[in-house]
Amino acid sequence: MYAQILEERRQSIGTGGDVGRTRSIRCETASVSGAVSQRACVYCGARVVLNPITDAFHLVHGPIGCASYTWDIRGSLSSGSELYRNSFSTDLQERDVIFGGAEKLARAIDEAVERYRPPLIFVYCTCIVGVIGDDVDAVCRSAEARHGVRVIPVKAPGFSGSKSTGYRLACEALMKLLEGHEWDGEREGVNILGDYNLAGEMWIIVGYMRRLGIPVAATFTGDASFERLLRAPRARLNVVQCAGSMMYLANLMEETFGIPWVKASFFGLEDTSTALRQVADLVGDDEIRRRAREFTEERSRETAKLVGPYHGRLAGKRAAIFVGGGFKAISLVRQFREMGMETVLVGTQTGKADEYEVLGRLVGPDTVILDDANPAELERFLVERGADILVGGVKERPLAYKLGIAFCDHNHERKHALAGYEGVENFTREVASSILSPVWRHARG
Amino acid sequence: MGSMVNCNVNPCKMCMPMGTVTAFLGIAGCMNILHGSQGCSTYIRRHMATHYNEPVDVASSSLTEEGTVFGGEANLVKGLDNLIRQYDPSVVAVSTTCLAETIGENVPDMLARYRESRPECRTRIVQVSSAGYAGTQFEGWFRAVHALVAQVPMDGTPHDGINVVTGPISCADTRALKDLLAGAGLRFTLVPDISDTLDGRHAPEYSRLPRGGTGIEDISRMAGARGTLELSTFVDDSWSPGRLLQERHGVPLLRCPMPVGLRDADAFLKAIEGLGGTVGTRVRDDRGRFLDAMIDAHKYSALGRAAIFGEPDFAYGMTRLCCENGIVPMVVATGSHCPSLEKLLGEETRELAETMQLPPCRFLPFADFDAIENAVVETGANLLIGSSDGRRIAAKHALPLVRCAFPVHDHMGGQRVRILGFEGGTAMLDRLANALISRRDAQFRKTARDLHFRPLVEEEEMERPMAAGDARTGDGVDVARRNARRTLTHPCFTESSCRTAARIHLPVAPACNISCNYCVRSFDCVNESRPGVTSKVLSPREALERYLQVKARMPNLTVAGIAGPGDALANFKATRETLRLVREADPDVTFCLSTNGLLLPLHAQELCQLDVSHVTVTVNAVDPAIGARIYREVDYMGVRHEGEQGAAILMANQLAGIAMLVRAGVVCKVNVVMVKGVNDGHVEDIVRRVRGLGATIANIMQMIPVSGSVFEGMPLVSNKELTVLRKRCEGIMPQMHHCQHCRADAVGLLGEDRSAILFGGAASKPGPIVEKSEAQGPRKARRIAVASRSGVVVDQHFGFADQFYIYESDGSDTRLLEARHIGKGPGGCGMCGQGGGRGDGAKGLDAGKIAKALAAVSDCEAVLAMRIGESPRRQLADRGIAVFATCDDIDRAVREAATACNG
Repeated sequence: MYAQILEERRQSIGTGGDVGRTRSIRCETASVSGAVSQRACVYCGARVVLNPITDAFHLVHGPIGCASYTWDIRGSLSSGSELYRNSFSTDLQERDVIFGGAEKLARAIDEAVERYRPPLIFVYCTCIVGVIGDDVDAVCRSAEARHGVRVIPVKAPGFSGSKSTGYRLACEALMKLLEGHEWDGEREGVNILGDYNLAGEMWIIVGYMRRLGIPVAATFTGDASFERLLRAPRARLNVVQCAGSMMYLANLMEETFGIPWVKASFFGLEDTSTALRQVADLVGDDEIRRRAREFTEERSRETAKLVGPYHGRLAGKRAAIFVGGGFKAISLVRQFREMGMETVLVGTQTGKADEYEVLGRLVGPDTVILDDANPAELERFLVERGADILVGGVKERPLAYKLGIAFCDHNHERKHALAGYEGVENFTREVASSILSPVWRHARG
Repeated sequence: MGSMVNCNVNPCKMCMPMGTVTAFLGIAGCMNILHGSQGCSTYIRRHMATHYNEPVDVASSSLTEEGTVFGGEANLVKGLDNLIRQYDPSVVAVSTTCLAETIGENVPDMLARYRESRPECRTRIVQVSSAGYAGTQFEGWFRAVHALVAQVPMDGTPHDGINVVTGPISCADTRALKDLLAGAGLRFTLVPDISDTLDGRHAPEYSRLPRGGTGIEDISRMAGARGTLELSTFVDDSWSPGRLLQERHGVPLLRCPMPVGLRDADAFLKAIEGLGGTVGTRVRDDRGRFLDAMIDAHKYSALGRAAIFGEPDFAYGMTRLCCENGIVPMVVATGSHCPSLEKLLGEETRELAETMQLPPCRFLPFADFDAIENAVVETGANLLIGSSDGRRIAAKHALPLVRCAFPVHDHMGGQRVRILGFEGGTAMLDRLANALISRRDAQFRKTARDLHFRPLVEEEEMERPMAAGDARTGDGVDVARRNARRTLTHPCFTESSCRTAARIHLPVAPACNISCNYCVRSFDCVNESRPGVTSKVLSPREALERYLQVKARMPNLTVAGIAGPGDALANFKATRETLRLVREADPDVTFCLSTNGLLLPLHAQELCQLDVSHVTVTVNAVDPAIGARIYREVDYMGVRHEGEQGAAILMANQLAGIAMLVRAGVVCKVNVVMVKGVNDGHVEDIVRRVRGLGATIANIMQMIPVSGSVFEGMPLVSNKELTVLRKRCEGIMPQMHHCQHCRADAVGLLGEDRSAILFGGAASKPGPIVEKSEAQGPRKARRIAVASRSGVVVDQHFGFADQFYIYESDGSDTRLLEARHIGKGPGGCGMCGQGGGRGDGAKGLDAGKIAKALAAVSDCEAVLAMRIGESPRRQLADRGIAVFATCDDIDRAVREAATACNG
C-alpha cells in the first residue's frame, strides 16, 4: 500500500506530459510540516557553499549539533590548507543561552586568530543566536578591527528559509569578501563558479581550461583560498556550473565588477564539450577556439570508446533522479539519454520553476517530476515506474536498497569525480556496477 | 576541553535530539517528529543513514520565521496531521530542538489541545524536551525512555516479567542481550529495542514503518514487573526510567554497568540469577572461551596503549575491558559532562599503568577531538577505540582505529558491532589484538634493521681502509664511495655520529642573491643559519686561523662547512679561497656547504674539484606558483626577477644543480622550510622530486616568523605538524630529525654550540679565543638563569620561557637557587623577539612577555637559552648580562657559562 499523497504536496508533483504544458510545478516554497522533507536548512546551504574555502576558519556559533553534523561536510579537496576540514563551534550551553553567547564568540575568535592565524573567518549563526539576541555583527566588526583579518558573519538560522536562502547568504558573504578589490587593469581568463572540487572535479575543469589556454582567475569555491578568491574581479567571464548555488553571486559580480557570466555543465559528454566550446568562444581567440574544438572532439571520441561497452548492457534501463538542484537534474537526464537509458522520475530539493519547465520538455510524458519529495513519494513512484537505479544523496540510499533498486551517489561524499570526460567514465562505471550487480538476482529471488 | 577554551574543535558528541530519535526508533510503530527547523531532522537522518544503512524517516514541524515569532503550534499541528496521514504510526514521538526550547514552546499544552481537537486520532503521542544545548545524544536517549515510561498509561497488575533498560547499544548487541535473557528463562520487556528497527531485513515488501521495537502495551505493563534492570553506570537519576518506575510504581530497581568485559558480564549474569534467571551451560561455555581468548591474546594486548572515546557508558565499559586484558588505557574521553568517569576508573587504570611503568591515564570529560588528539600524541597511545570520528587522528598519526561506537560513517557494519557479553567481548578483543598485531608486524622488520643491522654496516664501512690512489677528484664512483664514508662522520647526515663528531661553520659568505619572505636581510638568512647569526664575518685567512685554533682543541672535528650567513655560492670567491686554504692545512676534513642553489649549476663542477663532499640545498617549492609566494626576488646574473619568473629560474637551477652534484658523487641534503598555508601541502611533492634526482636526506624545518619579515604574521608550524609531515615524507626518503638550526658560525657537536664560549657571545665583542683554563681569573660564583622546561637540558627559547632555573656556579660546582615561574610564554609568531617592542597587536611578539622575561633574569649575570632573539639579546647585553645559546645539559652548560664569565 502506498502512502496517500498529501493534499499540500499535489501541486509539487507532475509528469512530463503536463509540466510546462498545462501546468507548472509548485517550488521554491517552505517544506510542508510533517511531510518528511529531504531538505536541509539555511545554515547547511550557506555552509556547503563556503566550506570548500580551504584556509578559512569556519566557526559555527550555536549549540553543538549543527557543527557535529556538518564536520568535513563535503568531500571537497584542497591543494593547500586543510583548516576547513575541522569543525569549530562555540558549543553554546544552557548558561550561554540564558546569558547570551556574544562574549564567548568574541573569545572564540580571539583564540582562533591566536592559534590558527586564518586570513578569513566565517561566523555561521544557527537557529537560536538571533533569538537569544547576540549582536554578532558587532562582535565580528570589532574582531576584524582587533585582528586585522576578515571576520564575516553569515546569519543563517535554519528557520529563515530553505537551503537556497543559505546559498544566497553565502553569495553575499563572498561579495563582502570581494568588496574593495575591484580591478581596473587588463582582464584575463575566467572564474569557475559552483564547483566544489569533490574528488578533484575543480582540478579537472581547471586542467581543461589550461589545455585550451584560458587562465582561471578564481574558483568558487572548490579548492579556493582567501588570496585566490580576491583575484576574481580580474576575470573576463564567470562560468557558472551549479546554478542553484551560484547564480546569485554571478549576478552580483556582473553588477559590481561588470563580469558577464555563462552557465555551463560539466556533467556528461555533450554538456562538457558544449561548455568548453562556449567558454572558448566567449573569451578565446581563434587559436583557443580551434583548440577547444579539437580537444573536445578528441576527448569525446576517446571517452565514447571507453564507455561504449557498458551502453549495450544499460540500454533500456530506467533511471530515477533526486538531487539538490535543477541544473544538475537536467544534466543527468541528458547523460542518461546518452547512455540509452530513460528517466522515469526526476526531482530536486531546491529546483526553480524554469528548470522544471526544461525538465518537462526533456523527459517522456509518463515521467514523474517532483519538487521537495519525501520518502513516501519516492517509494511510491520508484516502484510504480519500475526504476532500476536512483541517483541521489546519502539519505536516499537506504530506501533504494530496501526497495531492491540500484543507487548512485551524486552528492557531497563521493570519492570519484563525476565531472568532465573522466566523470563520464566514472559515472558509467558506477551506474553499471550497481545496476548489473549479481546481488539483485538473489534479492529478487 | 581542548586547547581552545571557548571553541569546540571537532566535536566528540552530538545533540540531544539524536539520542531521543534513536531511542524512540526502538519503539514499535513509532515515528519521530522534531519541533524546530527543517535541518535538524535531515542532519540526524543523514548521520544515521551511513551508520545503520537503513531508511530513517524523521519528520519536522519545519518552523518558519513566522512560527518562530508567533509560536509554532500551527506548524506542529499540521506536522502531526501529515505525519499520521502518511505513516499511520501507532506512536508519534515529539522531540523539541534548540529553537523550540529557546522560543519557549509549551509542547505538552499544544499536544493536549491537539488530542482534544482530534478525538478520533488513535495514535499515541509522547513528547520530550531535548534542547540540543542541554546535553548530548547520551542524555537524549535516556530522556526519551524516561518520557515513554512517564507518559504511557501504566497498568500496574503484577506479573512475573522483568524490565530491562539499556543505554545506547548496537542492534546486534541488543539481539544478543535478548537471546541471553530469553536463554535464562526470563520474561522481559527490553526498552528500547532497536535490534530490528535499525537493522532490518531485506524483504519483498517494503514497510515504511520498520518492523520490531518494544510494544507500547509492553511498556504499559512495566509498572507491574518484578524488577527493573538498568544497564547503565551514568544515567542521571532525574532521567532514569528505572528510578521513575521505582518511585511511581514501586518496581525494585537494580542498576548494573553495561556488560562489557569479563567482570561486568559476570555482574550482569549474577543480576539475572538474582532475578530468577538460570544461566545455562552455553553461556558458561562462552565465558570459558572468552577467558581462553583473553589468555591467548594477553601478550599482544600488552602492546596496547589505548585511547578510548565515546559516550560515558561505552568509555567506561571499554576501559574496564582493556584493563582486564592488560591493554593500558592512556586516554579516556567523553563528550558529555561526566566528571565521575575518573572517580570510577582512576584506581584500576592507575594500577595497570604502574605495573607497566607508564604514566597514569588521562581522563577527559567534556572533550573534543582536539583535546583527544593532543592527549594521544602526548601519551604515545597506539590504539584508538571509538567511533569513526577518530579516523582523522588515526590517519594523521598512522594509528589503528577500532570502530565500535556510534557513528561509524566510513565502514560497513556499525549496526552489527558486538561488544556486550562474553561473545561480544571475545569478538571485540580479537579486533583489538589484531589491530595491535598488524601494527607490530608492519613495523618490526624495519625497526630491527635500523636498530641492529645499520650499526653493523656503519662500523664495517668505518673500518675499511681507504683505497690506494683514492684521488679527491677521481671518477664519480670512487668519489661517491669516499663521500659515503665521510657521511658516517658528518653529524648532520648521520644522526648517530652527532654525539661524537664535531663540525665548524666558517662564516665567510655574507651576501645573498635571493630574497625570501621569511628572511630579514639585516639578520641574514633565518633558515640557512639562525636568527642572531654570526658574531663576525671572517675573511678566508681569518677562517683558516679559526679552523686551526678549533682543530687544535677539538680532535673530533671532522667537518668544516660554509653556511652563510648569506649564500655560500653568492660569495664564491671567498668560499673557494677558504676551502682551498683549509684543504691545504688539513687533507682529511670533510667539506660541507649550504646554498640556495641558484648558482649551483655554475659552480657544481668546481665544488667537486674543491673536494666538497656534502651540499645542502634549500628547496622550498618545485612549483613556480608556490615559489612566487616564498621568494620575493631572485637576483640572477645581475638581473632581478620577481614572482613566478624568479621562482622558476631558482628552482630550475636548484634541481639541475642537485642532479649535477649527485652525478658527481656529492652527497646532497635538501632543506625545506615549511610555511603554513603556503607550501605545507607541497612539501611531499618537493621531497618526491629531489628524491628522484638522487638527494640523500631531507630536512623539513619550521619557518620561523621573524618580525620585520614579510611572513612575520604567518602561523608557526607546530612540532606536532612538523613531526607528522616528516613521518609522511619518511616513506619517500630519509628524514633528518635532529637538525639544530645551527648558526652560521656554529662550532662543536651538534646541539652543543660552543661558539659563544669559544669566541664570546653577542654580549661580548668578537675577540680572541678565551682559554678555558681554570687557573685564569678568580673563581667567582656567578648567578645564571637557564631557560628550561624539562629542568634537565636548556630546552627553551628565551622569549617562550615559562620559567627560569636560577643557578649559581663558579665553574666547577653548580647550585640551583630557585625555579622562577614567569607565566605562560608568548604564543604564535615572533618567537625571536625581534621587534618585540613594536607593539603592533596581533603581529610580532608581545612586548610584555619579553619584558617579564627580562625582569625575571635582571639579577643574573648570564642567561642560557636554546635560542634568543636579537632584541632581547641586545637588551641583556646593555644590562651587562651575558647570553649563551646552547641546548646542552643544564649542569654542564651552567659550568661552562660560569667559566666563560670568570674568564
